Amino acid sequence: MIVAKRKPFEEIKGLIQGYKKILVVGCGTCVAVCLAGGEKEVGVLAAELRLSQKSEKEPAEFGEATVQRQCDREFLAELDDLVPEYDALLSMACGAGIQFLAERFPDTPVFPAVDTTFIGVNQDVGWYEERCKACGSCVLGMTAGICPVTMCAKSLLNGPCGGTNGSSCEVDPNQPCAWHMIYERLARQGRLDKIIEICPANDWRNQKPQTLIQPGYEERYESGK
Amino acid sequence: MTTSENAHEMEKIEIVTDVLIIGGGYTGLKAADSIAGTGYHVILADQKNSDHQARSSLFGLKADFQNQLDELKKAVNGNNNIEFLPDVNINSATGVPGDFTIRLTSNGKDLEKKVGAVVVATDIVSTPLNHIYGLDFSDKIVSLSDFEENLSSADFKEKLCNNKQTVAFLVGFAQNGSPLLMKRILDSVLAISEAGNGATAYVYINDIKVAGNDLERLYKTGRDKGAIYFKLTQLPEISQQSDAPVVSFHDPVVRSDIEVEPDILVLEEAMTPSQINTKLAGILRIDLGPMGFLQTDNVHRFPVNSNREGIYVIGSARDIQDLSEAWTDVENTVIQLKQLLGDGTKEVPKFRAVVDREKCVTCLTCYRCCPHGAIYWDDKAVISPVACQACGICASECPQEAIQITGYTDDELIDQIRNAISDVKNGDPKILAFCCENSALEAGKAAALFHYELPKGLRMIRVPCAGKVDIHYVLSAFIEGADGVMVMACHPGNCKSETGTTFARWRINNAYQMLEETGINKERLEFVTLASNMAPDFAKIAVEMEKRIG
Repeated sequence: MIVAKRKPFEEIKGLIQGYKKILVVGCGTCVAVCLAGGEKEVGVLAAELRLSQKSEKEPAEFGEATVQRQCDREFLAELDDLVPEYDALLSMACGAGIQFLAERFPDTPVFPAVDTTFIGVNQDVGWYEERCKACGSCVLGMTAGICPVTMCAKSLLNGPCGGTNGSSCEVDPNQPCAWHMIYERLARQGRLDKIIEICPANDWRNQKPQTLIQPGYEERYESGK
Repeated sequence: MTTSENAHEMEKIEIVTDVLIIGGGYTGLKAADSIAGTGYHVILADQKNSDHQARSSLFGLKADFQNQLDELKKAVNGNNNIEFLPDVNINSATGVPGDFTIRLTSNGKDLEKKVGAVVVATDIVSTPLNHIYGLDFSDKIVSLSDFEENLSSADFKEKLCNNKQTVAFLVGFAQNGSPLLMKRILDSVLAISEAGNGATAYVYINDIKVAGNDLERLYKTGRDKGAIYFKLTQLPEISQQSDAPVVSFHDPVVRSDIEVEPDILVLEEAMTPSQINTKLAGILRIDLGPMGFLQTDNVHRFPVNSNREGIYVIGSARDIQDLSEAWTDVENTVIQLKQLLGDGTKEVPKFRAVVDREKCVTCLTCYRCCPHGAIYWDDKAVISPVACQACGICASECPQEAIQITGYTDDELIDQIRNAISDVKNGDPKILAFCCENSALEAGKAAALFHYELPKGLRMIRVPCAGKVDIHYVLSAFIEGADGVMVMACHPGNCKSETGTTFARWRINNAYQMLEETGINKERLEFVTLASNMAPDFAKIAVEMEKRIG
């Protein structure tokens, strides 16, 4: 899932300063699962904002709405009638959701209430760890299911750097060395020969905005349908 | 999950019987009067654009129709069962037949209306074509609409005769035209001849379109009364120097070049659909047809039906129609509405298409793919039993296999595939044909009935639409030992579900690639389109497949 973290309250306050009527918009999918931007967090943030306005002469008003996904236009359409009543939107979705929201309502300023951090896994309630950088060229087959792009501080694809301290990374002794872990797991599976294979450099030219059309769906967009 | 036992179980549901009519022109007024006459409450919404000012001539009507129209207006205004909303903008439409929610603005006020059905009755508009002729309008060069308006004045007609004026019409050089446009020209020509001795009508025309009621007679009468027609394949040369237009052309009959200086030159005009059709199609999620009329050609549907149950397109909303055609549409719509709405309770199949709410992840794929607009969602996908046509396109697109069509569940079809293949005697090439029940299935049955030569190992699997053929079925057939697989759909443009053939073709093209990747010769798979009367073709295709893979 996409994991996000709520921005510091002071930063959020700063972003929406001067706006009098603000709609806090949650997203019911990834950011809800990682406890950052679902209906509950929308309620909490709105309450916090209202509290902070208590001493103001003219406190700003806050509305709340959570859609199933801010990355689907059909769900955003549910906000069509609501948004014109507000002078700013505060989105708790991931960066994609925030942008799609801003695209749908180009006349209304949209501010992020969370920082989108990574694609990760759930270790326990409220505990997430990054596992994927969405590099667009997966090497997990030759690295024993451990991603060196994500887990190695240098994203090295062909073995560790000189800074490896046995099992830990030179940037942080608490961070395991990705290539050490890869070696261990390949050895355990009797596939150490895999580590010898040269992994070509990723085509980092893919770092431009990408469009993906699944196979089987290509024709329908070629035909302009 | 449904089984064959409860497949036909019905349930009673309550539906809204109010009807929204979009368009307050001649067709919309008539529809309001007729539908309210059957007892349904009608909301008559007139658009912001100037449709309600539609000229009677556009419908092939003479000015004296005005009295009838006034009476109709009076009847509509006096009917308590009709709510008239002026200056309407339709903002959104959600829901399903029997339960649509329409949000609109009338006179600047936002309203929400619950209706059971929607009738779109937008009118045609006329557009001048002088730019295509490269001519500017003047006193002497006028549009057909303006000329028609002039003709309604007695003074104008008198002047035509007394001054022995010539009127020249230019038709069919800027567009293909239509019988209704032809009727307008013929009416004007006749009006000139009938105005009295003196005035003469010349018609420079490409094709004379008389494929409509009474047009042949109108044409002949006009000629008998002195109108002169020049049937030309090329636009005459027209010079617009000084004041008077000069028309020069080669007359194919007398075989010489001729110049005419008409007193008035009348230019044909285009009759185009209402400009809000495109927007309405988007909001109502109905298909936009050729030229911007609100209907695609679909032989399986009644003329007034759109691709969505409960949304009807009538009169000039769907084609260039004269008033008698448009009002026939009104009568047909009344019949359809009675069937759909009844007395407000409706018996519907309980398990036509079933969504497994545990599996559904509300990805909206089904909503986006359904050609009938039958799917909406609460927190999960919901399929309207009133709107669903059970084509199965959604079921085969669902990434979670969360939708099953009663009688055609994945389990049942995989079983059928397995049984069909194991039924073939060893030694015969095993050919499985997925046949759309609207076309290929009938063709296949007929081929067998008339003893066309068919492969011994051919087995047909019935599907409600080729769009139901899941890529997984094709792969499963090969896994189960099929030597050849045919996916047999309706011809493009002939699919009852509009997009079923297209979905099937997309999927099979994807399957070709998968077969190649897995090392199976892709010639073993064939995508075919057929009509139900093509038994010989069915047999030929099947035999060729057998030869190819044998």
